[in-house]
Formats: sequence, C-alpha cells, structure tokens
Amino acid sequence: MNTTHILSAFDRDLEGVQALVMRMGGLVETALLDAAEALDARDEDLATRVRTGDQAIDALEEQINAECARLIALRAPAAGDLRTVLTVMKIAAALERSGDYAKNLAKRTVVLSQMPHVMGASGTIRRLAKAVVLMLNDALDAYIRRDVKLAEDVRQRDRDIDQMYNSIFREFLTHMMEDPRNIGPCMHLHFIAKNIERVGDHATAVAEQVIYLVTGAMPGDERPKVDGMSTSMARS
Amino acid sequence: MDDARIVERSVDIHQSKISAKGVQVHYGTTHALKDVDVEILDHTVTAFIGPSGCGKSTFLRCLNRMNDTIVSCKVTGMIQLDGENIYDQRVDPVQLRAKVGMVFQKPNPFPKSIYDNVAYGPKIHGLTRSKADLDEVVERCLRKAALWNEVKDRLASPGTGLSGGQQQRLCIARAIATSPEVLLMDEPCSALDPIATAQVEELISELRASFSVVIVTHSMQQAARVSQKTAFFHLGNLVEYGETGKIFTTPKDPRTEAYITGRIG
Repeated sequence: MNTTHILSAFDRDLEGVQALVMRMGGLVETALLDAAEALDARDEDLATRVRTGDQAIDALEEQINAECARLIALRAPAAGDLRTVLTVMKIAAALERSGDYAKNLAKRTVVLSQMPHVMGASGTIRRLAKAVVLMLNDALDAYIRRDVKLAEDVRQRDRDIDQMYNSIFREFLTHMMEDPRNIGPCMHLHFIAKNIERVGDHATAVAEQVIYLVTGAMPGDERPKVDGMSTSMARS
Repeated sequence: MDDARIVERSVDIHQSKISAKGVQVHYGTTHALKDVDVEILDHTVTAFIGPSGCGKSTFLRCLNRMNDTIVSCKVTGMIQLDGENIYDQRVDPVQLRAKVGMVFQKPNPFPKSIYDNVAYGPKIHGLTRSKADLDEVVERCLRKAALWNEVKDRLASPGTGLSGGQQQRLCIARAIATSPEVLLMDEPCSALDPIATAQVEELISELRASFSVVIVTHSMQQAARVSQKTAFFHLGNLVEYGETGKIFTTPKDPRTEAYITGRIG
C-alpha cells in the first residue's frame, strides 16, 4: 500500500499530532526520572521543577486534543488514519495522567525531606521508576515503529512491575511494624510506589493502543496479573 | 463493532434480493468487470465505491440490463433477482426495469409537467385503473420523495422548471412510481448542493423500508452515511464487500484501506 496521501497536507497533520505526543512522552519520562532522583537525593529544587513542569505536559495534551478535533473535522480520517487519531488522543490522556503522578511524587518528596529517612526505600523506588520509564519508552517506541511485538513485550513486563510493587509493599510493612515512627514516611513512600505502579498500567495502555492501531482490534487475552498480593499482605 | 451507532444501523434482514455470480463484462476488447460475486440484501442500502473506471457503474447497469443498449457490451455470468435469472430470454427488459428502477447522475425529468413525470410509469405499465388512483400514486410518490409540499400547487408546470435538487427528487419520485423492488442510483447527488444532498440521503434511508437501494457514489462520506453494506471496486475487480462500519474502520484488503484513506485515486 502507498504510505503517503494524495493530499500531502493530510500527512503533515497526522505526523504533526504524532510528533506532539512523542514530545509529551519525552517530558513525562524526564519528569518521572527527575522526581525519583529528587526523592533519592532529597533535592527539593529538582522536585519543585518537576511540579511546575507538569503545566507544560497538560498544555501539550490540550494542544493534541485540539489538533485531533481539527483533523477529524477537516480530514474525515478513515481506517488506519482514524485509528491513528484515536490512539493519539488515548495515549495523550495516559501520558497526562502519568505526568500527574510524577507531580504527586515531587510533592510528596518535599514533605518527605522533612521526615526521618527510611533505610533503602528511596533507592528501591528509583529502581521501580526506572523500570516503568523504560516500559513507557518502549511503548512509545513501539508506537512510532508500529511494532506489535515490542508492544506485546511491554504488556507482559507489567507483571514484573506489579511484582516489584508488591515486594516494596511488603518491605514498608516490615518497616512500619518495626518502628511506628516509620509509619508517616512509609505511608507517603507507599503512595509514591503505588503511583509509579499506576504509570506502569498507563504504559501498558499505550502498548495496547499500538496493538489496536496496527491490527484494528484490542488484544483479546487477559494479560497476566499478580493478584491478591497486597490484599493478603494487608491481612497478615 | 458493538457501539450504539452500528447497532442502530445493523442489517437485520439477511434475505438476498439480487445475487450475482461470476459476472464478467467486456466492452469490445476491454475487460471491464472481472468475475464479480455479490449478494445484495433486501431492505438494505448497498454502496458501490471505487476510483473512476473501476467498473462500479458498469456493474450497477448490469443489474437492470441497461448495458443491453450498448452494442459492444457483452455480459456473462449469472444475475438473479429473487432467484430468477434476469438475463433469461423470457425476461422482458422493460418489465425488469419497472421492478429495478434507476436514478441517474444528472436529473433528467421528461419535458412534461411535474404530474406527468411521475404518472408516466404507472400509465404505461397499466398500474392504475382510474384518474383518482393515478392522483393518489402521484401524491404518494411525491410525498415519499419529500417534494410534495414544494410542488403540490403547481403540478401542471413543467418538471424542467424545478431547481436541480427538486428535479433529482422528481426523478426519484418517478423511479418509485412503478413500485420497484430495487432502486439503483448512479451518483444521485453529484450535481446537488449540500442541502439537497442531505434531503436525498434522508430519502434514501426512508426508501430502505420499502425496497433495496444500490447507490454508486464517489463520495466516500456519502457511502459511509447512507449505506449498511459497502462494496469496493478496483480495476474491474470487486475487492471487498462488507458491513459499511467495518469497511471504513478496519478494511481487510490493503487496496480498500489505501482508497478510503485517500492514498490511491
């Protein structure tokens, strides 16, 4: 099939919205990594920069939505073009949420810097954040390359994130039982870990959009899940 | 494909009205249509789309034997209307065309009054017994074609004096006056403004309740708007035929996708 439209402005519009979503992805990845680093290094300035940087991410999402609405109205995209526009909008929404989580992480970092240090916790969270950012990065790569295999791989990796989150949960529980003074910081750290784990779910959603874009159908099989871990831990 | 829009437009009738098998058309040495198989459903709007010269109009014209009038044209294969071969020697093409009506690209009313344009078919086919009967048919058809209110006070004035959109609706009223079972439309809106187009499209949706409509159109948006089934023709082949929502969101053939997304012309 020909890859370019007879009307070249249509191609430019489609490429434009996809470039915007990639730029947004880059900003979100940086925000997450910076937020995790700020937490680990107790760097309040960096945390503040992440918080203010979220505005740019939100603005990009708005711009993407406006461009997509315009593209639908003016170009009446069909089939693959329509799926491109639809997936761009969904991915932008997933990225916007992920950006919010990074912002929340930065906010809690500022609070945590006034609290006693919890041994090893911020390092573990930084590793979790790195793994999630890599997932998000691969999901966006898979989008640009229309790579279903890589997208499928990202989907499967969400299980590892869930496992990491569960072991972090267990670790915090131990800290809190050992010393009640850890409860305050551990509650914040737990929310942070949970939020990063949610970013992993958004990365999975992006990967699923890649599969929808290329095949025209959402992946039908349920992706593997580690279930009940935190529930059973909560009872112990 | 389970969204509300598709459900609302879903085709609940699966009864075949026209069945074509292995249809080939030659114009002299030109092979215009290659081995077309298609089942056109009753009470359904079927759209034929494809680039110019792809054979969609040729195929449409096969369905009421309009190609008989072209000397160099040779049609082979089988086309059945309700199980009856329409190319059988015993079939009278004139009778067939009363059952399979046609509306053309350019409005072509007879140079007669509005009333006579609609009354002509029922008269020559002897479908009415009295003047009152005929009046009723004319009114019913003009109402169905959404033209009655605009012309009821000037039925005696010439049909050619109407606006383009009105003329096309008059031609539709004329085509439905013989109570056809199938209505063929060859780009019925290409000479109309957007308002008249919308009126004709609304009419097509209503006509679907009474019979099966086949429409050839260059406007893919029109095909998407009015039809339940879409067939894509390319270089004399029927490339893909399926539910309209599927054709426009997830076509199976890369040629269909290339055409509907504006990549080949």
